[in-house]
Amino acid sequence: MTGFARSRPGGWLPVAATLSALVVFPLVVDDGSWLNTAVLVLLYAGLAQAWNILGGFAGQISLGNAAFFGIGAYTSTVLLDRWNVSPWLGMPIGAVIAAGFAVAVFFPFFRLGGHYFAIATIALAEILLILFTNWAFVRGARGMTIPFVRGPDRRPTDSWAFLQFNESRVPYYYVVLGLAVLAVAIAIAVERSKLGYYLRAIKNDQQAARSLGVPVLRYKLIAVAISAAVSAVFGTFYAQYLLFIDPETTMRLELSVLIALVAILGGVGTVVGPLLGALVLIPLSEVTRSQLAGSGNTLDLVLYGGLIMLIAVFQPNGLVAVGDRVRRRRRAVRPAGDGAERGDAPLVGAPGAGD
Amino acid sequence: MDGDVLLQAIASGLLIGMVYALISVGLTLIFGLMEIVNFAHGEFLMLAMYAAFFGRSLVGLDPMLSLPATVGLLFLLGVLTYRGIISRILHAPMLAQIFATFGLGLFLRGLAQFFWSPDFRSVEAPFLAGLSGGGVEVGSVSLGVPQSAAALLAGLAFLALYLFIDRSRTGLALQAVAEDRATATLMGINSDRMFALGWGLGAACVGLAGAVLATFYYIYPSVGVVFALIAYITVALGGFGSVPGALVAGLLVGLVEVVSPTLFGFSPAYKYAVVFGFYLAVVLVRPQGLFGRF
Amino acid sequence: MRRHHRWNWNALAVVGLLAPILTLSAGGARGAIQDATPAASPVAVECPPDAAGAPEDGVVRVGVILPLSGTAATVGNDERAALELAVEFVNEDRAEVPLPLAAGAGLPTLDGAQVELVFADSQGQAEVGQSEATRLIEDENVVALFGAYNSAVTRTASTAAERAGIPFLNAESSSPDLTEQGYYWFFRTSPHDGTFSEGIYDFIESLNANQSAGLETVSLLYEDTDFGVNSAAALTEQAGTRGLTIAGEVRHATGASSLTAEVQALQQQAADVLIPSSYTTDAILTVQTARQLGYLPQMIVAQDAGYADPAFVEAVGADAEGIATRSAFSPDIFEVKPVAGQVNELYRAATGKDLYDVPARGLTGMLVLLDAINRACSTDPEAIHQALVDTNLGEADTIMPWTGVTFDDNQQNELGRGIIVQVQGGQYRTVFPPEFAVVEPVVPLAPWDQRP
Repeated sequence: MTGFARSRPGGWLPVAATLSALVVFPLVVDDGSWLNTAVLVLLYAGLAQAWNILGGFAGQISLGNAAFFGIGAYTSTVLLDRWNVSPWLGMPIGAVIAAGFAVAVFFPFFRLGGHYFAIATIALAEILLILFTNWAFVRGARGMTIPFVRGPDRRPTDSWAFLQFNESRVPYYYVVLGLAVLAVAIAIAVERSKLGYYLRAIKNDQQAARSLGVPVLRYKLIAVAISAAVSAVFGTFYAQYLLFIDPETTMRLELSVLIALVAILGGVGTVVGPLLGALVLIPLSEVTRSQLAGSGNTLDLVLYGGLIMLIAVFQPNGLVAVGDRVRRRRRAVRPAGDGAERGDAPLVGAPGAGD
Repeated sequence: MDGDVLLQAIASGLLIGMVYALISVGLTLIFGLMEIVNFAHGEFLMLAMYAAFFGRSLVGLDPMLSLPATVGLLFLLGVLTYRGIISRILHAPMLAQIFATFGLGLFLRGLAQFFWSPDFRSVEAPFLAGLSGGGVEVGSVSLGVPQSAAALLAGLAFLALYLFIDRSRTGLALQAVAEDRATATLMGINSDRMFALGWGLGAACVGLAGAVLATFYYIYPSVGVVFALIAYITVALGGFGSVPGALVAGLLVGLVEVVSPTLFGFSPAYKYAVVFGFYLAVVLVRPQGLFGRF
Repeated sequence: MRRHHRWNWNALAVVGLLAPILTLSAGGARGAIQDATPAASPVAVECPPDAAGAPEDGVVRVGVILPLSGTAATVGNDERAALELAVEFVNEDRAEVPLPLAAGAGLPTLDGAQVELVFADSQGQAEVGQSEATRLIEDENVVALFGAYNSAVTRTASTAAERAGIPFLNAESSSPDLTEQGYYWFFRTSPHDGTFSEGIYDFIESLNANQSAGLETVSLLYEDTDFGVNSAAALTEQAGTRGLTIAGEVRHATGASSLTAEVQALQQQAADVLIPSSYTTDAILTVQTARQLGYLPQMIVAQDAGYADPAFVEAVGADAEGIATRSAFSPDIFEVKPVAGQVNELYRAATGKDLYDVPARGLTGMLVLLDAINRACSTDPEAIHQALVDTNLGEADTIMPWTGVTFDDNQQNELGRGIIVQVQGGQYRTVFPPEFAVVEPVVPLAPWDQRP
């Protein structure tokens, strides 16, 4: 009984409402820095969703997902820079390369347990970061700048063909919204398929799953390939959004940790969790920084770190558990089911029934 | 390849390796006891370095003299962290534990800059740096006095830890709790107290590391980040929870880092990549690390 | 495995962790400047009759992006203090300071409008830089952007300015290609790595000519960042034309835990001169490791950054003696340029530190920008752009050892240049070029064990 759209009357209503709210959002807020925050929320929601497929469903904690993100960003940017290939084409190519890379590298990694696996993913991403930093073909530490598409008056202009929007950033929002919806759709599809069922079985008890004849390694590899491909797609988007990438920006450890953090604080192993995590954590980070950091006293870090700590201590199963608790309490008071509106997800680690 | 150069690299690598081992041992101690990775470990190191710095600048004590106080303060910090945070999430999922300590790390780093400014500081004229002009020559090899003293102290700390854990009653009680919490409780051991002690000890070790590191390394709020990553690799390489593993792995990491560019002639820019690659190579052969128990 | 979990709001023992906190108070009473030097004659600005004039609320807001936390936080916060000082000159009547706009309160052509700086923290991260730039432009309604120290952050932040169509003035990033990508709104007052590298080689040549130093081979040590790589590229490119041989180059990771392998590689190269390009942390570690391993070239001439940071000299003490670095500023410039000393006094009163390279460049850049806004007679972006293009400041109008500020076709200041300072007696002293030198350069470096 996982997922936020389970087939029960009213289950699709909140989804439809959320989606329409997201679609009209830019029309309401106009072009402010909230739009930028919204883009980042959707970006991290998608990245955390991708992380969740491997880390949440299959229980393989990766702290190196920035490697896939970076591969996506670099693939499309190199193709654009060298051969003028549109990022729309670079995006799937990056996804394929990231997936292939993930399968090749994680094949031996999956022998490792728990913390050894997590540290191995850190090591992998760090190695990649160092290699890219010293690799002249991708301009090393200098990074790659994506030149503006300019209009006849030399002003930076919009180009759907080259995925670049300079007059208004609203199109970026819709692009990343589309990608995030795609990531969620993939996560739901995985969750409801045989694959999701097997991944949860692997997470709960790998030995038992293996003895029941589940090809454990194959499913883990499929999970990491999907996770890597989705992360890479967002990497391409990010490169086009920033118009500049360097190894630090796209592959550093803090980015990997943040991706995992978003999923974990939201609630691992659910589709809603990463979305909720991004919705809370990213604006929190943006707002504390913009409101407090200008004074240069790092109160924003104190607050941000303190809140992460408090959530971990008081809500160790992630924010989805709050909604769950609220619903249960409300049900106890009013048995008639108006509690199904939001936060409709179980506690982390609750045994999933699958299909 | 010049033999002297190689010898020098090996000596330097072993010295810095001892420091890595000392930084890492606290981390592995806590893990061995309760299977929790402290992601604020680097910030503990940072606080210990600041303690050594302020001992000098405010009270006028050399880091070597303020060392007992630094170690004591860090012990207290470890116990407080356990009582205030960890004891509340003992039964929470591993991920929540990771991020509670990760949040603590960010929090402490932010506080450090808030109160002490982001400036780079270093301990003024530490006694060790002045001793014998700060360096000694052993044959063709020159060794820094602070680095050598750090390595020596680290060696002593490992010896003391070994004696404490394997010979003292309390140490045996710690082991019992690490082995089987339920049985230990039945035997009358207060596991909660043992956990607090474990956190205190783990933090005290990194306190010692911070105090000696402060004699030859600069201090600023994010300094822990530099060493934390190396400590995680070291602990995993040695095997999570293994004290001798931390010692051997620390030395290996130090050696690989310093010797491999000299030996194989690649640019030192890749040296950390080689360290990470070394870890991967080892655990792919031995998934439990060098001395791990599982 | 569902686990129950106890709520316990009342015991936030975290607070207990605050126990060992000590505060350091910096700063002190603001020193008064007694001997007022005559103010620079204010250039009479004639505003066109159709100029937009002052903003409605009488406040001109400028967005500033700096690394206020993270590894570069020291420099970021020091520059922040310098920028606040610059704005103080403009907003208050500081006729005793002979710099543009110091006399009289506010911006004269904008009915004495006050300038307000809106600071944002980039954390030294490129993506944060763009987020903050966007926020400053769209939410804080700044008329121009300023910053951002780290070249990568300057890149992404200036992209936001280019998109929005407002001026971006950079005063501290030295990556040459920043002004070579054809941005309409991007201006840089600081010299870049190419210019700076020429200064380093000029200095080495003069040592050979005047002091028979006999320096022929060069080792490059540089960090694996945009700054390090560009610096090394510029130095390598120019070495040949100067008759110098590059004995080798060593690239290192930033914020390294040890630099032994790196220093050993330098030792093998045994060059006459070491030219390092590293930030403060690695600079400290390099010198300490060099001493420990007994590596001593005849001369060290650094490419600014960490070697020009007073924290470096403080940290390595006597080991810094004799090390030279290119810089853009040194407090002893006041011996040639009194206004520099005057500003330095004010800066020290506010921060407890001497003004150094980056803060000084920041202060100068900010005054250039505000001068342009004043001449624009309006906060209209096009008007400010035109005024920046028309900038023509002379030698007396800045505290820098520059002949002035005018922008070339790439909107790069063509009158800026570096100086070489050398640590002598624990202080940075200007040794080159001759017109700004206050002492003679000392060559070669003293052996490590023969220092005070």
